[in-house]
Order: sequence, then structure tokens, then C-alpha cells
Amino acid sequence: MEKKIKSVKDLNALRDQAKSDIELRTGEKDMRIVVHMGTCGIAAGARDILTQVIEELRLAGVESVTVRLSGCMGLCDQEPMFTLTDASGTEFCYARLDRSKVHEIVTRHMLENQPLVEYMVSSQSSKEA
Amino acid sequence: MENARTHFLLCAGAGCVASGSLEVGAAMQDPLRKHGLTGEVRIIETGCLGPCAVGPVAVVYPDGVFYQNLKPEDAAVIVEEHFLKGRVVERLVHRAPATAQGVARLQDISFFREQEKIVLRNCGIIDPLRIDEYIARDGYQALAKVLTGMTPEQVIDVVEKSGLRGRGGAGFPTGRKWRVTRQSKGDVKYVICNGDEGDPGAFMDRSVLEGDPHSIIEAMAIAAYAIGSSQGYVYVRAEYPLAVERLGKALDQARQYGLIGKNIMGTGFDFDLEIRMGSGAFVCGEETALMTSIEGNRGEPRPRPPFPAQKGLWGKPSLLNNVETYANIPAIIMKGAEWYASFGTEKSKGTKVFALAGTVNNTGLVEVPIGSSLGRIIYEVGGGIPGGKKFKAAQMGGPSGGCIPKEHLNVPVDYESLTDLGAIMGSGGLIVMDEDTCMVDMARYFLDFIQDESCGKCPPCRVGTKRMLEIVNRICEGNGQEGDVEKLIDLGNKIKDTALCGLGQTGPNPVLSTIRHFRDEYNAHIREKHCPAGVCESLVRAPCQNACPAGVDVPGYVALISEGRYAEALKLHRNRNPFASVCARVCFHPCESKCRRSTVDESVSIRGLKRFMVEQEVTVQLPEIRESERNARHKVAIIGAGPAGLSCAYFLARLGYRPKVFEAESQPGGMLRWGIPAYRLPRDVITREVRMIEHLGVDIETGMKLGRDFTLKSLKADGYKAVFVGVGTPRGLDLGIPGEKVEGVSDAMRFLHDHNLNGSVSVGKEVVVIGGGNAAVDAARTALRLGAGAVTILYRRTRAEMPAYEEEIEEAEREGLRIRTLVAPVEILSSNGHVVGVKCCRMKLGDYDRSGRRRPERCEDSDFVVNADQVIAAIGQALDGKEICDGISLKFAGNVLHMNPVTGQTSVEWVFAGGDAATGPATVTSAIGGGEKAAVGIHEFLEGEGEAFWRKEQTIDTFFDPEADPVQYPRAKAQMIPVAKRRSNFLEVETPWRQNVAQREAKRCLRCDYRDER
Amino acid sequence: MAPEKLGCACEEVSEQELLARLDEVIQEYREKPGALIPVLQIAQGIFGYLPESALKRISRGLNKSYSEVAGVVGFYSFFSTVPRGKHLIRTCLGTACYVRGGKRVLDSIKRDLGIDVGETTPDKMFSLEVARCFGACGLAPTITIDNEVHQRVKPLKVHELLDEYRNQGAVAEKGA
Repeated sequence: MEKKIKSVKDLNALRDQAKSDIELRTGEKDMRIVVHMGTCGIAAGARDILTQVIEELRLAGVESVTVRLSGCMGLCDQEPMFTLTDASGTEFCYARLDRSKVHEIVTRHMLENQPLVEYMVSSQSSKEA
Repeated sequence: MENARTHFLLCAGAGCVASGSLEVGAAMQDPLRKHGLTGEVRIIETGCLGPCAVGPVAVVYPDGVFYQNLKPEDAAVIVEEHFLKGRVVERLVHRAPATAQGVARLQDISFFREQEKIVLRNCGIIDPLRIDEYIARDGYQALAKVLTGMTPEQVIDVVEKSGLRGRGGAGFPTGRKWRVTRQSKGDVKYVICNGDEGDPGAFMDRSVLEGDPHSIIEAMAIAAYAIGSSQGYVYVRAEYPLAVERLGKALDQARQYGLIGKNIMGTGFDFDLEIRMGSGAFVCGEETALMTSIEGNRGEPRPRPPFPAQKGLWGKPSLLNNVETYANIPAIIMKGAEWYASFGTEKSKGTKVFALAGTVNNTGLVEVPIGSSLGRIIYEVGGGIPGGKKFKAAQMGGPSGGCIPKEHLNVPVDYESLTDLGAIMGSGGLIVMDEDTCMVDMARYFLDFIQDESCGKCPPCRVGTKRMLEIVNRICEGNGQEGDVEKLIDLGNKIKDTALCGLGQTGPNPVLSTIRHFRDEYNAHIREKHCPAGVCESLVRAPCQNACPAGVDVPGYVALISEGRYAEALKLHRNRNPFASVCARVCFHPCESKCRRSTVDESVSIRGLKRFMVEQEVTVQLPEIRESERNARHKVAIIGAGPAGLSCAYFLARLGYRPKVFEAESQPGGMLRWGIPAYRLPRDVITREVRMIEHLGVDIETGMKLGRDFTLKSLKADGYKAVFVGVGTPRGLDLGIPGEKVEGVSDAMRFLHDHNLNGSVSVGKEVVVIGGGNAAVDAARTALRLGAGAVTILYRRTRAEMPAYEEEIEEAEREGLRIRTLVAPVEILSSNGHVVGVKCCRMKLGDYDRSGRRRPERCEDSDFVVNADQVIAAIGQALDGKEICDGISLKFAGNVLHMNPVTGQTSVEWVFAGGDAATGPATVTSAIGGGEKAAVGIHEFLEGEGEAFWRKEQTIDTFFDPEADPVQYPRAKAQMIPVAKRRSNFLEVETPWRQNVAQREAKRCLRCDYRDER
Repeated sequence: MAPEKLGCACEEVSEQELLARLDEVIQEYREKPGALIPVLQIAQGIFGYLPESALKRISRGLNKSYSEVAGVVGFYSFFSTVPRGKHLIRTCLGTACYVRGGKRVLDSIKRDLGIDVGETTPDKMFSLEVARCFGACGLAPTITIDNEVHQRVKPLKVHELLDEYRNQGAVAEKGA
């Protein structure tokens, strides 16, 4: 209840605070994963992906990664997917995830900094690939 | 670390390292430094990218360009051309065959690039369960601005000026609605959010509620302030549990922060919000029904006026907007009316979210400025139609809307343009339908929906749509009658005029719109009892058989093959199509593209099976014949011994007739003989099946040309009672460009004819073929075999739009054919009366034309010359109408003979037609089907009997276990002889399978013809 | 507000206890305007369906005639006055699912379970209903089993999918 917003000033203060929190999270060392969890994503298995990401990171002993959930990206077809923002702020959108892909992305991209091109959202999507 | 603009992902997998990828990376450093790009381009060594065989490979990200076979000396070129000037180095590009190889950063993928996100600004970016993330992205700032610095009137002014219109469907100006509600007298007023997103296929509201619930809460608070309300309701449908859950949590957080409740942000403004969940009634999306439902009653609509703005929820003035409309509000308040109005068209401002679904590659939500063309949304954003199928129509506006066919892909998607075409914007559901969707079935689907969801209060909706459904049902079941379509139109218009609420008034739209754009399809159901898309169960025994223009019992003969009963299989085939051996070579198997096995893995290779089957025939077996002295006495003439004429003769002979066939050329076969090259169809195969037809008592006289040796009138005078015209479209069209009347320029028809029938044709060293159809490819492959040094096809559209069959194009390319697309000829250049080249210009694809393809447009100043000593035009074929008519007034439909598609009868009762002469250039199989139909038509005309014994369905005692899982073998591939062995001769390219392969393939059939007799 | 639980009620709890829970809900909502539908939704969550006893209790508690309550129940397709099976299957026949073969999925489920739409299997394991759009059109054809959405369902894979639920039951029973 401390955070009760009693005036516009309060709102602005909270906004600035929240902004800097987010910036801190995407700072030099940190990476961020946003798992897209709308109805489509969940139907396609996004919940398992979220759990697995957290588990993989824990096993690998990585602590500098923020994992968040978010709504639909609009690309239902390629669900489940997550967006990985790396230390430089570049966004990589991984799609049609499954257990083995998640494992590979965590070990190769997040630990060894080798983006896995073949798992990213493709511009020419191929059906039922 | 700087934010690199470009990433160069260089493969450092073992394969690429071995072929020198690291050296490429090293060689890139100097040029990058030289051009000051070190900070902008980041070289990342990645793991194996896949195609090691063409390594070293690299991907440029975000462009998604894939380079292959890189050498250190290429590094500087890539830096200077690609990184500096933004030009892709074409010669190094790796083109992966239709795999998901292209890579790009989100905003660079066309799916996202073409979008403008206002409503969906936070969806997929913020965590909907954390209010802080919404606030960090300036959430609730609009509310703060309104509460502290604007009067309610000013808020309404901004909304009105922005031009925002209701996104629920009708497009009523939002600002005006707000103003009217504000002006309504009443101590208590309500703001309501319509989240009962009932239109099947629309899910943008769900996505916003799930992904950005605070934007709705904020917008409703702003609306409440503007109209003078302190209580709101959000009505969410029961099918969206996650949306209810997230909105509920968001409300709790907002309440906790004091962003809703009493004295918001210390301004004295009070507002609270409650969620109401629907219970599965579509009609509750209608505003008056929705309010009745919130009140706790049966959700029946009530007449308007009074409008909700005057008398709404519990009789109080109420403001009702839908989710998407509200989601625009905070952005409009923050960025201003002018900013918002800069998107869209004159009458429809801003953006609209569409839910792309159905048969389209990228399904999902897309937000584009209003007025974007439908083609752009489907192809650029949606990525086109999967599986190589053709776009047929887009359904917009759900059960209240209509469909837009391919002829109108250019329509700007705004409220007015869509209404003009009989569709509506609706809530934004955009369902893409391909050739496999039956439009009559679609109309039935929506009528069923309306019937189901009609609340029953008013008779036009309750009874009227039921009557319509009965009619459509009987059409789908094969019991449609002449006049049914007119009845539907009449009923539909009456319901539109008299129903009580929007649901009923718009209910007939899907039917009326499918009739408007697809009347032919209704006619096919009613007159031919045929469902062209292969959907309507009563009319379709199996989709493959339904797709076969000759109606061959495909599952039957495939099953017989799987049991090794080849003679029976062939007999079953010839029951509907005499040219089994011919079709085994040249049929483009429409059956396979409808095969349901493709939903498991790939379609059954039906043509491959047929090829195997015909190889098993030792002596030709004659089909069942019903001798009839009576029929034999009728003199019937058939003009043209091509597939249509010979089929017509074959079926007439089986009914006991003794038809006489007149053929202009020296040998029978028509296009089979002189149009189709021998490497696809050996001559003895044609001879064999033609001879079988002769054995049935068919007399073929060659060297008899219509208009030269005889006429329709002279046939009549000779006592012929009926005549079938199957003369094809033998004349190739001219290019219609300057200089074409010189030596060395001919057309594909003449070229193929001279080679195949006369045995001699001259071939140049550099041959250019103009056109993208099958005739072009046939001519090109023939020229290659006759020793042309180089053969190039020029086509004005892209490869994807070439009408020639893909497998033919691929084989031709393997044999060395070069294809240049987006090129059109402008002039034939000659020297001393002989062609020396073709002046061409480059083309680009512009708007969509009525064929649903993008129209090629000439690029300015792009002329160039292609050297050629021979030019073959293959841009179309026609029929010489004059030689046919000779004083008899036959009606034409465009360039071809007009005829009844069921009987083949032309406008002159004793003249029948079929094949290309009646359909325009089409396939061998459709000519065979046309010949069969005309044979039955002639029989009916002469004997008054429209029945043919071969059309009766035959039961075949093959084994089938419906409970068993489908066998897991993959589709067997066709076998070709190596290119080197075929490139310079006319040996048949394809070889048949062995028995084990064929039987295994036959077992892959799912037996869609199987009916449970329980 | 939203019903907390939509699954079926455990049989161990007596009807009296359930009715008592319902009474609490009625108590909480009786003063709110338009309370009937939310109460019915929660009641269905408690009982798994809407038995007559519950409807009578609601009618008395909210001071509405029984016929009015029954009329509302009959109007909305989500309310059921007969017990449903352990798992509720809803096949989407929204436009996108329909275009992508939803009807063949439905036929396949019907064949597999041997029941028609609106019916429950004799072993009380599955009930089958039809729905219009879950808003997961991008993944058509879809079905929901209980509250879980299954995407891109293939008619030939229906049996496998239902087996998962059948076996789940078997495992649970063994465990108990």
C-alpha cells in the first residue's frame, strides 16, 4: 500500500523509477527473455517453455538474466516464442520453440554468445516445417 | 559496446572453418576500418548454420541475406556493396529452396515492417501482470493529463478530431458517441467495454485484454471522465478465461495503486470498474443485448432507438465501445488528434487490427493503417498462401460480413470500400480461404451459425434464416433446383429489411456475398451436382476423384494396385478415361493436390501409381460395350482426333454408336501427338490407345480439315444427326510488338507442330522463348534437345506466377534451360531480315490484377538486349472461329465456343463442343472429361436418355481396415533418367517404379471413399 | 467475480455442503445489481453443472421467479442442467477452424467417442460440445479439453490425444 499514487507527481516518480529499473535490467551484463504468453502461445506450449528457461538458467548457474512473460506478439503461427534481448540491446526473436531448441539457445546463444539463426523468426515462414 | 547496426553471422562450424571461414572474417576487418564501419558492423562467429556443402556461409542480420561459398577476396566486396551501399551481392547469395532460412530482426521482417502498432503498442512487450511496466511505458499518463489539464469537452474534442471510429464493426464516430452520451441528461451514467468478441475468427480484443489490460482500464477511466460517469463494466466472453484472469489482476493492481477508485491522483475524480463474464451467447455482442445480459437477463436485443447513449444499462445513459476502440484512446490523448489522423484514409483514420487466420502463412494479429490494400495484408504481411495453393477469397466481418474474391485484392481496406463490395470491416476478422474452400459450404456454415445464435425473438431472423439454411443445405446435398439462388437472394433481402437487430439484419450477408462473387460455384452444385472445391460430402465420394476432370475412381484403382490386381485397376480407370497410358505420363494430377494424405505427410503419388499400372498391360483390353443397333443407326460426326474428340468417340462407341472422326492432320492424336514432346509422351503410347478406340468401331479419317474439306453444313447435309467439335486452340498468338515479322520468329504451336508431325524444324544457336506456360517449357526443352546452344525463357512476372507446372520447370532447368523473370519483350531486332535479338525491358510487380496476381509494370529506362537467332512466342493460343461457323451462328464465350458445361451442347442444338475449343487451353484430362460429357449429352439429345452406365458407382471388393493406423511409408519419388542421358535425345525422361515400390505407395492411400455402413 | 473453478465437482463432497457454499455466494451477491448471471456461473463451478436444487436455491435467494432463472439458464450455451463427463471437450467451429478442417476433427472425435454433440460417454469420461472460436485462430483447428487449448489438431491424431486423458484417469484412480 506504500505505492498508492496520490498525485500526478507520484505517478511520474513511479514511472521514472520503473524505467530505470528496466534499463538496469538490460544493462551491460544482462540479458532479458520475454516469453510470449497469450492464449495462442500457451496453447502451443509457452508455459513449458517458460518453466524450462528458468530451469535451464538455474542449472547453468546464470543469474544475470531476467525472465518475463508478456502477451501475444501477433505471430500466432510461430508460437511458442520468446524474445531475447542481449547485452547490446539487440533483439532476437526465437520461434517454434521446443525443449531441445531452448536448451541449445541457452547454452549456445546465452552462454557462448552464438545466436542460433535457424531458430529465429523467419521472414519466409514455411508451414508445418 | 556500441549498438551495432548490422551483424555478420559468420559460420564457424567445423565444415566452414575447414573451407576457410575464419580467413573471410579476418579479411573483413581492413575494409570495415577503411570505411569507418567497425562500430556499426559486428562480426559474430556462430555455430554451424547448416549448408556446409556450400561453405563458408554467413548470414547478414537483420537483412536476412544468406551468403555462400565465401572467399577472403569477397569480404571487401560485401563491405563496400552490402554494408556501405546496401546492395546485396547477388552472385554470393545462397537461395535455400523454400526453407525457413531467411532471418531478420523483428522490425525488419515484412510481417512486422508493414505494420503500424498503436492498439498493440504494448502487446508482447510488457508483462501484463506488472503495472509498473505499463507505467514505465507512459501508462496512465494520458489519464493524468486528462484529469489535471483538460475539461471533459476538450477530451471529447480531441477524440472527435482524431477521426477514430468504432472498431466493433459499424464504424460510428467515437467522438460523436461520447458527446451525445455526455449531453444526455442523467445523474448516473455508465461506461461499458464490449469484450464479447463473438465474430469467429477475430481475436484482437482477446489479445489486448491479455497483453495490455491496463490500456483498457485507463481508456475507460478517461471516457468516464469525459461523459461524467463513475462506474464502468467490462463484458468479456466466457471463452476467454485468460483475458478475464489478467484483466482481473490488472484491476486489483490499479485499485491498489489508487489509479481507479476514489479521488484518483488527488483530483477528486472517482471511477471503478467491474468485470462481467459472458456465458456463450453470440448475440450478446450486440450492444443492447449485452446490456440486458449485464442486467442479469436473457441477452435479447431490444429495438433502437432509444440508443444506449440515452437509455442504456438500467435505463441510464451509457457509453459502449469495444476493446480495440478503447485501446486507441490513451495514445490519441498523449500524441494528439493530428498525429492519429495522419494514419488512414480521408474518411477512416488511424489503424485497424486484423486477425489473420485461415489458409495464410503468417497467421496472427496485424495492425495496419486503414486503407492498406487487401493484397498487401494477405501477401506482404501475411506471407501469402501456404502449400502452393491458390487464393480464393477473404472473409471479412464474420457472420455479418462477406467475402472478397481475388479480383478485388487491390481494394483499400476501409469501412466504405468494403461495404461497396458486399463485405464489412466488422471487428477485423480476416479469414483467408484457398481453392479448397467451397463457397456454398461457407454460406451454409454462416447460416448455421446465425440459426444457432438467433435469439428467436423476431421471425425474420428465426424463421427466415432457417428457410435459407434449408435451401443451401439441399444445394450442398445435391438436391438444388433451378431458381434456388434467386429464392436465396429474395429471402436474404427481405430479412435484411425486417429483422429486429443487427445480427438478423446482417445475417444474410455471407450468403448474398458468396452468390454475388461465386455464382458459378452455386450453379455447379445445382446443375452439375459437383462441388468444385471437393468439400460438400454428399457430392464428393473422395476428394481425388472429385478433382479429376474425367471423374476416374482413383481410390478404387489405387486399392486394386495395392492388392496386385493390375488388370482390374486398369479396367476401372478406363471405365472413365480411355487414355490411361497417356495420362500416366502427362496428367498434372489435380487429384494429388486434393489428397488428404497430405495432412499426414505428403499426398499419394497417384500419377506414379498409374504409370506403374499401365506398364503391366500386355495386350490392350477393351472396355464394356453395350451394343445397340438403334444407336448405331444415328450418324454422329466428331471433328478433331485429339483427346476430347477421341474420348467422345470412345464413350459413344460404348453406347453402341458408330461415330466418325475427322482429323485435319495426317495422324490422329491432336495435341497429344503434335503438341506434347516425345520425351514426355512416347509416340507408340498414343498409337496404342488410339487403336484401342478404333477397335470399338470408331472410324477415323485423317487429312480432313473443317472449313477446307467439309463444313458443319455439309455434315448436316450428309445426314449427320449430331456433331462434336473438338478442334482445340491450335493457333499461337502473335507477340504484337514491332519487328516480329522476320525470319527466325515463330510461335510455340507452329514450332512443336513442325517438329513432331513434319519431323523437321530449324533450331538456332541462341533461342529465346517468350512466355511462362507449358507450351513455352515444351518448346524450350525441345529446342534444347535439337541442339540449341542456349535456350532462355523470358517471362514478365516472377517464377512463382509461371503457369507452367513446377515439375516441368525444374526438369527443364536441370537440362540447362535459363529462365529470366520480370522481363518483357518490347521489340524484335533483326538484320538482313533475320532476327538477331530481342529488346527487352525490366518489369516490376505493381498492384493486383483481376487474376489475383500482381500486375507486371514496366520499369522506366531499363531496356536491354538479349541476343537471339531464334525467337519462339508462347504467349497464348486461340481458336479460328471463322472456319468453324461457316454460316451457322454458333455463340462464342470470349474466344471459345459457348456451351452448356453439363452436356457440351452449344447454342445450335445438334452441335456439341468440348476440350480446348470450348474451355480455352486446358489440360488433357479436362479435354477427356469434356468429351465424355458431350458423349452423354449427344446420347440424351438423340435418344432422350441422359444416363450412362459407366457413371454408376462401382463397388470394389478390396480390403480396408478403417481402424488401422495409416502406414508410415514416405511418398515414393518419381524416377528420371540422368540429364546427360536425355539432354540431346527424345527418350522418355521418367521411368516406372518396381512392383514393391508401387504396392507400398498404393497402401499409403487413406481410402476417403470408405463409408461406414453402420 | 470470475468463477474460481470450472472443473467438475468431487463426488466426495455432499450436496448439502455444496448448497451451503452456494448460499454464501448468494449472500455475497444478493445486493449487487445484475447478480443472477455471475451467481449462476459460480454455481456451475461449484456443482460442475446446474442441478435443479441449486437453481431453486438461487431463485429464492435472489428473489427471482424460478421460470426467470430457468429462462436465463436456457438462453446461454455455457450453462448445463445435466451432469457432464469428467472432461469437457469443446471443438471449435469458428470460421478459421472450420476452414482448416474443424468439422473433420469433430467427426473424428464423435467417431472415437461414439457420441454426438451435447452427449456424454457412458463411462462419464467425456462430454462433447461445439464452440465458436476461442480466439486461437492462428493455430486452427483447435479444441479445448477442460480449460486447455489444443492446437492444430489432426483428425488422425484425435485418438492419441484423448488417450492421454483416458490414461490420466487410470493413473489417478490407481493412485487413489
